[in-house]
Amino acid sequence: MRGGALPPGLLLAALGLALAFAPTRAWIAGLALAVLAATATMFAPLPATWREAVFLGGWASLAITAAATYPPRGLSPAVVLVLAANAGAWAGAMVSVAGARLDGVRALAGLIAFPIATACVQRGGGIAPKVVASWLIAVAALAAALPFLTVTPGYLPDHLD
Amino acid sequence: MRRLSILGGLAAAGAATPALAHTGTGLPGGFVSGFAHPLGGPDHLLAMVSVGLWGAWLGRPLVHLLPVVFPGMMVAGALAAMAGLPPPPVELGIALSVLVLGACVAAAYAAPTWLAVAIVAVFGICHGYAHGAELPSAADPVGYSVGFVAATGLLHVAGIGLGALKDRPVGAVATRGAGLCVAAAGLWFLGQAALR
Repeated sequence: MRGGALPPGLLLAALGLALAFAPTRAWIAGLALAVLAATATMFAPLPATWREAVFLGGWASLAITAAATYPPRGLSPAVVLVLAANAGAWAGAMVSVAGARLDGVRALAGLIAFPIATACVQRGGGIAPKVVASWLIAVAALAAALPFLTVTPGYLPDHLD
Repeated sequence: MRRLSILGGLAAAGAATPALAHTGTGLPGGFVSGFAHPLGGPDHLLAMVSVGLWGAWLGRPLVHLLPVVFPGMMVAGALAAMAGLPPPPVELGIALSVLVLGACVAAAYAAPTWLAVAIVAVFGICHGYAHGAELPSAADPVGYSVGFVAATGLLHVAGIGLGALKDRPVGAVATRGAGLCVAAAGLWFLGQAALR
């Protein structure tokens, strides 16, 4: 089992963390673009054979989006829009290849990270979202590596299934 | 008597657990299993809390850097385990981590940034290697990973929270005393690991 709302939810949570470090004027556009891109790819009929590639792209996007919390000067509006479109697109694609439509709605809960991280940043506690972002990068690295390992990942049938 | 037999039968049926043979999906859970895993072993738990405690003593930037380095290197260790790389002396490493980190807190050792990061990184690999073997068979590896990393991070945060007491007069003694207890536990773990 690898689909569901969690992978896209994590990606949107990473976007929420990154947006907290973005200029205020880019917030609405970034969120709207992410939701639009997610909706577009969620309804796109992606072939099942793209599953591994989509998840790999999703985990890479999670790592990149989470890492976007780290630039010391924050993010420019243009970068925010690219990140938002990218995160939304991959989140929707993950739902399309391995989830139900409802998972896409559930995944939006990941955006709760945005107001929480923003509150931290505005109170001078910007390091907390950065630490959480580093944990997301760790999760992305682990999840991305699973299909390449010689062991049988739990979501694939093994010799007894 | 008959009622007692029925009650006995029901109790036996209730107490019976499903067969725990190989089912092909290994660990039953995702997030909850992953979250519970670091909390289940006192050696892991003490080491992770100690990372936060030591970070609190070291102050910026290490108070933020160590909770980033440890989970990251744990993942590296877990990947090494899953890839089948030769194991480091995991049990000794974990026991040593409890001893060394506890001793660092007890001594309020102000290590240079590079040394603190190196110590935590090496021990993170040992802890990650030990955990990594369980991950591939988890039914929901992503949920398991999230729970696993979140629990590790929250234990660091708990350690930092405890370490914040050091700014109070009694707190400094209490946190260093806690470090001494952790180091003593580490010594015991080391003895156990050496005897195996």
